[in-house]
Amino acid sequence: MTHTTVITKRSLAPLLVPLGAGALVAVALGVYGKAHAPTGFAVGVAGFSGPLAMKAWLTTGAALLAIVQVLSARAMWRRTGTRSAWVAPLHRWSGRIAFLLTIPVAFHCLYALGAQYDSPRVLIHSLLGSFFYGVFTAKMLALPRRGLPGWSLPVLGGLVFTALIGLWLTSSFWFFTTLGIRL
Amino acid sequence: MSRLGPVYTLAAGAVIVVALGAASVKAAPSFQQVGAGQDTTAAAPPAEPFPAPSQEPSDQPSGEPAAKPDATPEKADYAGVVQGNGGLVAIAVRDGKAVAYFCDGRIEAWLKGTAENGTVTLEGKDSLITAALGGGKAQGRLQVGKAKWRFTAPLVKKPSGLYRASAVVRGAKIVGGWIVLPNGQEVGRVQIGGSGEPAPRFVPGTAVDYYGITLRPEEPDGFIDELAR
Repeated sequence: MTHTTVITKRSLAPLLVPLGAGALVAVALGVYGKAHAPTGFAVGVAGFSGPLAMKAWLTTGAALLAIVQVLSARAMWRRTGTRSAWVAPLHRWSGRIAFLLTIPVAFHCLYALGAQYDSPRVLIHSLLGSFFYGVFTAKMLALPRRGLPGWSLPVLGGLVFTALIGLWLTSSFWFFTTLGIRL
Repeated sequence: MSRLGPVYTLAAGAVIVVALGAASVKAAPSFQQVGAGQDTTAAAPPAEPFPAPSQEPSDQPSGEPAAKPDATPEKADYAGVVQGNGGLVAIAVRDGKAVAYFCDGRIEAWLKGTAENGTVTLEGKDSLITAALGGGKAQGRLQVGKAKWRFTAPLVKKPSGLYRASAVVRGAKIVGGWIVLPNGQEVGRVQIGGSGEPAPRFVPGTAVDYYGITLRPEEPDGFIDELAR
Protein backbone atom coordinates (compact mmCIF):
# COMPACT_ATOMS: atom_id res chain seq x y z
CA MET A 1 0.00 0.00 0.00
CA THR A 2 1.88 2.98 -1.26
CA HIS A 3 -0.28 5.63 0.32
CA THR A 4 0.70 4.57 3.84
CA THR A 5 4.34 5.45 3.33
CA VAL A 6 3.56 9.13 3.69
CA ILE A 7 1.35 8.67 6.69
CA THR A 8 3.67 6.42 8.68
CA LYS A 9 6.23 9.20 8.81
CA ARG A 10 3.99 10.83 11.37
CA SER A 11 5.10 10.55 14.91
CA LEU A 12 3.98 7.81 17.26
CA ALA A 13 3.99 10.31 20.11
CA PRO A 14 0.27 11.17 19.99
CA LEU A 15 -0.48 7.49 20.53
CA LEU A 16 1.54 7.18 23.72
CA VAL A 17 -1.01 8.68 26.09
CA PRO A 18 -4.01 6.70 24.71
CA LEU A 19 -2.04 3.45 24.71
CA GLY A 20 -0.70 4.09 28.20
CA ALA A 21 -4.15 4.88 29.55
CA GLY A 22 -5.58 1.82 27.83
CA ALA A 23 -2.88 -0.39 29.32
CA LEU A 24 -3.63 1.01 32.77
CA VAL A 25 -7.34 0.30 32.35
CA ALA A 26 -6.71 -3.28 31.22
CA VAL A 27 -4.32 -4.02 34.07
CA ALA A 28 -6.55 -2.32 36.63
CA LEU A 29 -9.57 -4.41 35.58
CA GLY A 30 -7.56 -7.61 35.71
CA VAL A 31 -6.12 -6.82 39.13
CA TYR A 32 -9.55 -5.83 40.45
CA GLY A 33 -11.13 -9.01 39.09
CA LYS A 34 -8.52 -11.13 40.82
CA ALA A 35 -8.09 -9.17 44.04
CA HIS A 36 -11.61 -8.53 45.26
CA ALA A 37 -13.85 -11.24 46.66
CA PRO A 38 -16.62 -12.07 44.20
CA THR A 39 -19.96 -11.03 45.62
CA GLY A 40 -21.94 -13.55 43.57
CA PHE A 41 -24.50 -10.86 42.95
CA ALA A 42 -24.76 -7.66 40.96
CA VAL A 43 -27.56 -5.39 39.88
CA GLY A 44 -28.13 -5.72 36.17
CA VAL A 45 -30.74 -5.28 33.48
CA ALA A 46 -34.13 -6.73 34.41
CA GLY A 47 -36.36 -8.75 32.11
CA PHE A 48 -34.22 -11.84 31.59
CA SER A 49 -34.55 -15.21 33.28
CA GLY A 50 -31.21 -14.77 35.02
CA PRO A 51 -27.93 -12.88 34.99
CA LEU A 52 -26.35 -15.38 32.59
CA ALA A 53 -29.13 -14.91 30.06
CA MET A 54 -28.97 -11.15 30.50
CA LYS A 55 -25.27 -11.16 29.76
CA ALA A 56 -25.60 -13.53 26.81
CA TRP A 57 -28.15 -11.29 25.09
CA LEU A 58 -26.53 -7.93 25.84
CA THR A 59 -23.23 -9.27 24.52
CA THR A 60 -25.00 -10.53 21.41
CA GLY A 61 -26.48 -7.07 20.89
CA ALA A 62 -23.03 -5.53 21.23
CA ALA A 63 -21.53 -8.08 18.83
CA LEU A 64 -24.17 -7.34 16.18
CA LEU A 65 -23.50 -3.63 16.55
CA ALA A 66 -19.79 -4.40 16.26
CA ILE A 67 -20.48 -5.81 12.80
CA VAL A 68 -22.23 -2.54 11.97
CA GLN A 69 -19.06 -0.86 13.23
CA VAL A 70 -16.83 -2.74 10.79
CA LEU A 71 -19.14 -2.10 7.83
CA SER A 72 -19.58 1.60 8.60
CA ALA A 73 -15.84 2.00 9.24
CA ARG A 74 -15.14 0.42 5.87
CA ALA A 75 -17.50 2.93 4.26
CA MET A 76 -15.75 5.78 6.05
CA TRP A 77 -12.28 4.69 5.00
CA ARG A 78 -13.13 3.88 1.42
CA ARG A 79 -10.93 6.00 -0.81
CA THR A 80 -13.22 6.08 -3.77
CA GLY A 81 -16.81 7.12 -4.20
CA THR A 82 -18.83 9.53 -2.18
CA ARG A 83 -19.33 9.12 1.49
CA SER A 84 -22.88 9.32 2.74
CA ALA A 85 -23.53 11.84 5.47
CA TRP A 86 -25.09 9.26 7.73
CA VAL A 87 -22.14 6.88 7.85
CA ALA A 88 -20.15 8.72 10.50
CA PRO A 89 -23.10 9.21 12.88
CA LEU A 90 -24.06 5.56 12.33
CA HIS A 91 -20.54 4.48 13.23
CA ARG A 92 -20.39 6.75 16.25
CA TRP A 93 -23.76 5.82 17.70
CA SER A 94 -23.64 2.11 17.00
CA GLY A 95 -20.30 2.08 18.78
CA ARG A 96 -21.59 4.05 21.73
CA ILE A 97 -24.61 1.81 22.14
CA ALA A 98 -22.48 -1.32 21.80
CA PHE A 99 -20.11 -0.04 24.47
CA LEU A 100 -22.94 0.84 26.84
CA LEU A 101 -24.54 -2.59 26.30
CA THR A 102 -21.34 -4.25 27.49
CA ILE A 103 -21.17 -2.29 30.75
CA PRO A 104 -23.78 -4.25 32.79
CA VAL A 105 -22.22 -7.45 31.43
CA ALA A 106 -18.69 -6.57 32.46
CA PHE A 107 -19.94 -5.22 35.77
CA HIS A 108 -21.57 -8.53 36.62
CA CYS A 109 -18.49 -10.45 35.43
CA LEU A 110 -16.03 -8.44 37.48
CA TYR A 111 -18.10 -7.53 40.53
CA ALA A 112 -20.05 -10.73 41.03
CA LEU A 113 -17.70 -13.36 39.59
CA GLY A 114 -14.21 -11.92 39.31
CA ALA A 115 -11.42 -13.02 37.01
CA GLN A 116 -11.02 -16.80 36.91
CA TYR A 117 -8.45 -18.99 35.28
CA ASP A 118 -9.92 -22.46 35.92
CA SER A 119 -10.88 -23.50 32.41
CA PRO A 120 -9.62 -22.36 28.99
CA ARG A 121 -12.92 -20.71 28.10
CA VAL A 122 -13.10 -18.74 31.34
CA LEU A 123 -9.42 -17.86 31.22
CA ILE A 124 -9.60 -16.54 27.66
CA HIS A 125 -12.78 -14.68 28.51
CA SER A 126 -11.24 -13.06 31.60
CA LEU A 127 -8.14 -11.92 29.72
CA LEU A 128 -10.08 -10.70 26.67
CA GLY A 129 -12.48 -8.78 28.87
CA SER A 130 -9.70 -6.76 30.47
CA PHE A 131 -8.02 -6.31 27.09
CA PHE A 132 -11.26 -5.13 25.45
CA TYR A 133 -11.76 -2.17 27.77
CA GLY A 134 -8.09 -1.29 27.55
CA VAL A 135 -8.14 -1.14 23.76
CA PHE A 136 -11.49 0.61 23.74
CA THR A 137 -10.16 3.29 26.08
CA ALA A 138 -7.09 3.70 23.85
CA LYS A 139 -9.28 4.05 20.76
CA MET A 140 -11.55 6.63 22.41
CA LEU A 141 -8.62 8.71 23.60
CA ALA A 142 -6.86 8.41 20.24
CA LEU A 143 -9.90 9.51 18.20
CA PRO A 144 -9.72 13.28 18.79
CA ARG A 145 -5.92 13.44 18.47
CA ARG A 146 -4.30 15.03 15.47
CA GLY A 147 -1.26 13.67 13.68
CA LEU A 148 -1.79 10.01 14.46
CA PRO A 149 -0.14 7.42 12.21
CA GLY A 150 -2.68 6.50 9.56
CA TRP A 151 -3.02 2.92 10.73
CA SER A 152 -3.84 3.84 14.34
CA LEU A 153 -7.62 3.89 14.23
CA PRO A 154 -8.08 0.87 11.95
CA VAL A 155 -5.73 -1.19 14.10
CA LEU A 156 -7.29 -0.10 17.38
CA GLY A 157 -10.79 -0.53 16.01
CA GLY A 158 -9.89 -3.94 14.61
CA LEU A 159 -8.54 -5.03 17.99
CA VAL A 160 -11.70 -3.80 19.75
CA PHE A 161 -13.81 -5.76 17.26
CA THR A 162 -11.68 -8.90 17.54
CA ALA A 163 -11.75 -8.78 21.34
CA LEU A 164 -15.52 -8.33 21.41
CA ILE A 165 -16.13 -11.22 19.04
CA GLY A 166 -13.80 -13.35 21.15
CA LEU A 167 -15.76 -12.35 24.23
CA TRP A 168 -19.01 -13.24 22.49
CA LEU A 169 -17.68 -16.65 21.43
CA THR A 170 -16.48 -17.47 24.95
CA SER A 171 -19.73 -16.39 26.62
CA SER A 172 -22.92 -15.94 24.60
CA PHE A 173 -22.08 -18.58 22.01
CA TRP A 174 -21.15 -20.98 24.81
CA PHE A 175 -24.37 -20.13 26.66
CA PHE A 176 -26.60 -20.58 23.60
CA THR A 177 -24.97 -23.84 22.55
CA THR A 178 -24.94 -25.24 26.09
CA LEU A 179 -28.27 -24.14 27.50
CA GLY A 180 -30.13 -23.27 24.34
CA ILE A 181 -31.34 -20.00 22.90
CA ARG A 182 -33.67 -18.57 25.51
CA LEU A 183 -34.33 -15.23 27.13
CA MET B 1 -17.93 15.91 15.75
CA SER B 2 -17.12 17.27 19.12
CA ARG B 3 -13.56 16.49 20.06
CA LEU B 4 -14.84 15.52 23.47
CA GLY B 5 -17.37 13.02 22.10
CA PRO B 6 -15.25 9.94 22.76
CA VAL B 7 -14.45 11.17 26.26
CA TYR B 8 -18.18 11.56 26.92
CA THR B 9 -18.65 7.99 25.75
CA LEU B 10 -16.09 6.75 28.24
CA ALA B 11 -17.58 8.96 30.94
CA ALA B 12 -21.07 7.58 30.28
CA GLY B 13 -19.70 4.08 30.76
CA ALA B 14 -18.03 5.10 34.01
CA VAL B 15 -21.24 6.70 35.27
CA ILE B 16 -23.17 3.49 34.59
CA VAL B 17 -20.53 1.47 36.41
CA VAL B 18 -20.81 3.74 39.45
CA ALA B 19 -24.62 3.55 39.35
CA LEU B 20 -24.59 -0.25 39.10
CA GLY B 21 -22.06 -0.42 41.90
CA ALA B 22 -24.12 1.80 44.19
CA ALA B 23 -27.29 -0.15 43.40
CA SER B 24 -25.56 -3.49 43.98
CA VAL B 25 -24.15 -2.43 47.33
CA LYS B 26 -27.56 -1.18 48.42
CA ALA B 27 -29.59 -4.07 47.10
CA ALA B 28 -31.05 -6.38 49.70
CA PRO B 29 -29.83 -9.98 49.90
CA SER B 30 -31.53 -11.89 47.15
CA PHE B 31 -32.19 -15.10 49.01
CA GLN B 32 -35.78 -16.10 49.23
CA GLN B 33 -37.61 -15.72 52.47
CA VAL B 34 -40.82 -17.59 52.37
CA GLY B 35 -43.36 -18.03 55.10
CA ALA B 36 -42.68 -16.27 58.36
CA GLY B 37 -39.36 -15.00 57.11
CA GLN B 38 -37.74 -14.75 60.51
CA ASP B 39 -34.11 -13.88 60.22
CA THR B 40 -33.50 -14.29 63.89
CA THR B 41 -34.16 -18.02 64.11
CA ALA B 42 -30.43 -18.61 64.42
CA ALA B 43 -30.54 -17.47 68.00
CA ALA B 44 -33.62 -19.54 68.73
CA PRO B 45 -33.40 -22.56 71.01
CA PRO B 46 -33.36 -26.02 69.44
CA ALA B 47 -37.08 -26.28 70.00
CA GLU B 48 -38.16 -24.81 66.70
CA PRO B 49 -40.62 -21.96 66.66
CA PHE B 50 -41.97 -23.14 63.34
CA PRO B 51 -42.32 -26.90 63.38
CA ALA B 52 -42.65 -28.46 59.98
CA PRO B 53 -45.87 -30.33 59.29
CA SER B 54 -44.06 -33.64 59.19
CA GLN B 55 -42.01 -32.99 62.28
CA GLU B 56 -42.90 -34.37 65.66
CA PRO B 57 -41.53 -32.20 68.44
CA SER B 58 -40.64 -35.21 70.59
CA ASP B 59 -38.26 -36.49 67.93
CA GLN B 60 -35.56 -33.99 68.50
CA PRO B 61 -34.56 -34.71 72.08
CA SER B 62 -34.72 -38.47 71.50
CA GLY B 63 -32.53 -38.22 68.41
CA GLU B 64 -29.71 -36.79 70.50
CA PRO B 65 -29.63 -38.26 73.99
CA ALA B 66 -28.84 -35.61 76.55
CA ALA B 67 -26.89 -38.10 78.64
CA LYS B 68 -24.31 -38.55 75.90
CA PRO B 69 -23.73 -35.12 74.41
CA ASP B 70 -20.47 -36.23 72.85
CA ALA B 71 -21.93 -39.09 70.88
CA THR B 72 -21.52 -38.52 67.18
CA PRO B 73 -24.76 -39.27 65.40
CA GLU B 74 -24.60 -41.83 62.63
CA LYS B 75 -27.12 -39.95 60.60
CA ALA B 76 -28.20 -36.40 61.21
CA ASP B 77 -29.22 -33.34 59.23
CA TYR B 78 -28.78 -29.84 60.53
CA ALA B 79 -29.89 -26.57 58.96
CA GLY B 80 -30.07 -23.05 60.28
CA VAL B 81 -29.41 -19.38 59.75
CA VAL B 82 -25.90 -17.94 59.80
CA GLN B 83 -25.75 -15.17 62.37
CA GLY B 84 -24.72 -11.80 61.04
CA ASN B 85 -25.03 -12.98 57.46
CA GLY B 86 -28.64 -14.07 57.11
CA GLY B 87 -27.71 -16.89 54.76
CA LEU B 88 -28.35 -20.52 55.54
CA VAL B 89 -26.03 -23.38 56.38
CA ALA B 90 -26.82 -27.08 56.31
CA ILE B 91 -24.73 -29.99 57.53
CA ALA B 92 -25.42 -33.64 56.81
CA VAL B 93 -23.68 -36.42 58.75
CA ARG B 94 -23.64 -40.04 57.54
CA ASP B 95 -21.47 -42.70 59.24
CA GLY B 96 -18.60 -40.41 60.09
CA LYS B 97 -18.70 -38.51 56.82
CA ALA B 98 -20.03 -35.01 56.68
CA VAL B 99 -20.96 -32.56 53.96
CA ALA B 100 -22.10 -28.99 54.36
CA TYR B 101 -23.41 -26.23 52.18
CA PHE B 102 -23.53 -22.54 52.87
CA CYS B 103 -25.47 -20.12 50.71
CA ASP B 104 -26.80 -16.63 51.18
CA GLY B 105 -28.12 -16.29 47.65
CA ARG B 106 -24.95 -14.54 46.52
CA ILE B 107 -22.02 -16.58 47.70
CA GLU B 108 -22.03 -20.30 48.32
CA ALA B 109 -19.67 -22.98 49.48
CA TRP B 110 -19.72 -26.77 49.41
CA LEU B 111 -17.70 -28.37 52.18
CA LYS B 112 -16.78 -31.91 53.06
CA GLY B 113 -15.20 -33.48 56.08
CA THR B 114 -15.61 -35.86 58.95
CA ALA B 115 -17.78 -36.24 62.01
CA GLU B 116 -16.14 -37.69 65.10
CA ASN B 117 -16.08 -37.10 68.85
CA GLY B 118 -19.22 -35.04 68.61
CA THR B 119 -17.72 -32.48 66.26
CA VAL B 120 -17.63 -31.92 62.54
CA THR B 121 -14.76 -30.35 60.64
CA LEU B 122 -15.41 -29.51 57.04
CA GLU B 123 -13.37 -27.86 54.36
CA GLY B 124 -14.24 -26.44 50.99
CA LYS B 125 -12.74 -24.03 48.49
CA ASP B 126 -11.76 -21.01 50.61
CA SER B 127 -14.16 -22.16 53.31
CA LEU B 128 -14.08 -23.91 56.65
CA ILE B 129 -16.69 -25.10 59.15
CA THR B 130 -16.14 -26.42 62.65
CA ALA B 131 -19.14 -27.26 64.79
CA ALA B 132 -20.08 -29.18 67.90
CA LEU B 133 -22.92 -31.65 67.55
CA GLY B 134 -25.20 -32.13 70.50
CA GLY B 135 -28.34 -30.99 72.23
CA GLY B 136 -30.26 -31.36 68.98
CA LYS B 137 -28.16 -28.88 67.11
CA ALA B 138 -24.88 -28.17 65.40
CA GLN B 139 -23.25 -25.08 66.79
CA GLY B 140 -20.10 -23.63 65.41
CA ARG B 141 -18.21 -21.32 63.15
CA LEU B 142 -18.16 -20.79 59.44
CA GLN B 143 -15.44 -19.09 57.46
CA VAL B 144 -15.85 -18.18 53.81
CA GLY B 145 -12.95 -16.28 52.32
CA LYS B 146 -12.04 -13.74 54.96
CA ALA B 147 -15.52 -13.54 56.48
CA LYS B 148 -16.29 -15.42 59.69
CA TRP B 149 -19.69 -16.09 61.21
CA ARG B 150 -21.25 -18.20 63.93
CA PHE B 151 -24.26 -20.37 63.44
CA THR B 152 -26.64 -22.62 65.30
CA ALA B 153 -28.27 -25.20 63.09
CA PRO B 154 -30.99 -27.33 64.70
CA LEU B 155 -31.67 -30.90 63.63
CA VAL B 156 -34.12 -30.95 60.76
CA LYS B 157 -36.13 -33.66 59.11
CA LYS B 158 -37.16 -34.27 55.56
CA PRO B 159 -38.36 -32.32 53.62
CA SER B 160 -36.17 -29.71 55.31
CA GLY B 161 -32.42 -29.85 54.97
CA LEU B 162 -29.82 -29.96 52.25
CA TYR B 163 -30.34 -30.74 48.57
CA ARG B 164 -27.91 -30.96 45.68
CA ALA B 165 -28.40 -31.53 42.01
CA SER B 166 -25.64 -32.06 39.49
CA ALA B 167 -25.76 -32.57 35.77
CA VAL B 168 -23.44 -32.35 32.80
CA VAL B 169 -25.01 -30.67 29.81
CA ARG B 170 -23.03 -30.55 26.58
CA GLY B 171 -19.76 -30.52 28.46
CA ALA B 172 -20.80 -27.97 31.07
CA LYS B 173 -21.02 -29.10 34.68
CA ILE B 174 -24.03 -27.76 36.50
CA VAL B 175 -24.31 -27.97 40.29
CA GLY B 176 -27.29 -26.69 42.20
CA GLY B 177 -27.55 -26.43 45.97
CA TRP B 178 -30.57 -25.70 48.12
CA ILE B 179 -31.22 -25.42 51.84
CA VAL B 180 -34.78 -25.66 53.06
CA LEU B 181 -35.73 -24.75 56.63
CA PRO B 182 -38.78 -26.06 58.48
CA ASN B 183 -40.34 -22.57 58.41
CA GLY B 184 -40.25 -22.62 54.63
CA GLN B 185 -37.24 -20.34 54.26
CA GLU B 186 -35.14 -21.45 51.35
CA VAL B 187 -31.98 -20.42 49.58
CA GLY B 188 -30.10 -21.88 46.66
CA ARG B 189 -27.68 -21.25 43.85
CA VAL B 190 -26.77 -22.93 40.62
CA GLN B 191 -23.22 -22.83 39.32
CA ILE B 192 -22.31 -23.50 35.73
CA GLY B 193 -19.00 -23.10 33.94
CA GLY B 194 -17.33 -20.84 36.50
CA SER B 195 -20.40 -18.70 36.81
CA GLY B 196 -23.34 -18.87 39.14
CA GLU B 197 -26.70 -17.38 39.84
CA PRO B 198 -29.57 -17.71 42.30
CA ALA B 199 -31.29 -21.05 41.87
CA PRO B 200 -34.89 -21.36 40.74
CA ARG B 201 -37.30 -22.07 43.57
CA PHE B 202 -37.27 -25.68 44.62
CA VAL B 203 -40.15 -27.55 46.17
CA PRO B 204 -38.84 -30.72 47.86
CA GLY B 205 -39.91 -33.80 45.98
CA THR B 206 -40.08 -32.05 42.63
CA ALA B 207 -37.66 -31.32 39.84
CA VAL B 208 -36.26 -27.86 39.05
CA ASP B 209 -36.23 -26.32 35.60
CA TYR B 210 -33.01 -24.42 34.91
CA TYR B 211 -33.01 -22.86 31.45
CA GLY B 212 -34.97 -25.85 30.19
CA ILE B 213 -32.66 -28.38 31.84
CA THR B 214 -34.30 -30.61 34.40
CA LEU B 215 -32.35 -30.71 37.64
CA ARG B 216 -33.31 -33.34 40.22
CA PRO B 217 -32.12 -32.23 43.65
CA GLU B 218 -31.11 -35.14 45.87
CA GLU B 219 -30.99 -35.55 49.61
CA PRO B 220 -27.55 -36.07 51.18
CA ASP B 221 -27.94 -39.87 51.00
CA GLY B 222 -27.79 -39.51 47.24
CA PHE B 223 -24.61 -37.45 46.95
CA ILE B 224 -22.60 -37.66 50.16
CA ASP B 225 -20.42 -40.53 48.90
CA GLU B 226 -19.69 -38.71 45.66
CA LEU B 227 -18.91 -35.45 47.41
CA ALA B 228 -17.13 -36.58 50.59
CA ARG B 229 -14.66 -39.00 49.08
